[in-house]
Amino acid sequence: MNTIEQQLWDYIDGNLDDASKKAIEEKIESNTEIKSQYEDLLKLNLVFDGLDLDEPSMSFNRNVMESIALVPAPVAMKTKVDKKIIYGIGGFFVVSLLAILSYVFYNANLEMPQFDLKVNFDFNLEKYITSTAIYAFLFADLVIGLIFLDQFLRKKVAQK
Amino acid sequence: MEQKPTDLELIQKVLNGETDQYALLVKRHQRFVFTLALRFSKNREDAEEIAQDCFVKAYKALGTFKQTAKFSTWLYTITYTTAMTFLRKNRLDTTSIHDESTILQLENQTSSFNANCYERQDSHAFLNIAITQLLPDDAAIITLFYKGEQSLEEIGEALHMEPNTIKVKLHRARQRLKEKLQYLLKDEVKELL
Repeated sequence: MNTIEQQLWDYIDGNLDDASKKAIEEKIESNTEIKSQYEDLLKLNLVFDGLDLDEPSMSFNRNVMESIALVPAPVAMKTKVDKKIIYGIGGFFVVSLLAILSYVFYNANLEMPQFDLKVNFDFNLEKYITSTAIYAFLFADLVIGLIFLDQFLRKKVAQK
Repeated sequence: MEQKPTDLELIQKVLNGETDQYALLVKRHQRFVFTLALRFSKNREDAEEIAQDCFVKAYKALGTFKQTAKFSTWLYTITYTTAMTFLRKNRLDTTSIHDESTILQLENQTSSFNANCYERQDSHAFLNIAITQLLPDDAAIITLFYKGEQSLEEIGEALHMEPNTIKVKLHRARQRLKEKLQYLLKDEVKELL
């Protein structure tokens, strides 16, 4: 639907591009019927512009404020997460994974070794259980223990 | 002269705990929200309930308002959804004005309006009567376009429609409003225009 009336309304509303604007201006200038229609629409537009807004009751504002007094006060969203940051982090991880995979494949020896069924069951445990390994194990235990203790104390504080 | 705070400044104050500042926001937009609600409900009491509900909803969701858009557009979106929910709940009579029964009703209204209107000779009064006889969507689009200072895109956002649909609907609404004015004013329409 693109009648002359609609084109005239678009012209009045300022919704036309330069070429269409020029074309309709030429039509208005050259055609007296269109010019008269345009002038009528301009007057009609002025009448529409004079539309009145209705007024609610005098107590409206007070009623609204009384209603919101029962509602918890609104708070601003504390964190505004920018999508670009999320895409940036995602991109970094994808690139890192691709780089690691590329490096692994580049350095990998893709030839299959000959399958050997000979398995050595002769474990020499003393070779692995050194004093450093024991200290490392105990240190890890200590850290895990401290984490659990921290969680336990936090829960207790929260309960109080 | 002290400059009036903008909508965004008032919102910021409300979010910072000055909740009484919300009264200023309500005062600033209440006429428009109420008029818009009235376009859908066609009844002052219901319109007031819808408008009040709309301001309470807006207050609750104020923290989520993205301050990149106009507050008024956001508020009109809430008004539209609140009005639609209200109409669905209450099953109000929003039948088309093209219905036979409605036309009869309108004719009766017109005759009673005429006496008042001719006395006042007020073009605004005729226009306000004519707009109440439009379909709710048409009346809302006309109101948003002329009084809400909203672009076609913003009206589309508020009424959940595409800007092109709004453009076509606005054109049709203007035509219907013109017809209603002609019907109400008969020969006097030429004096008005």
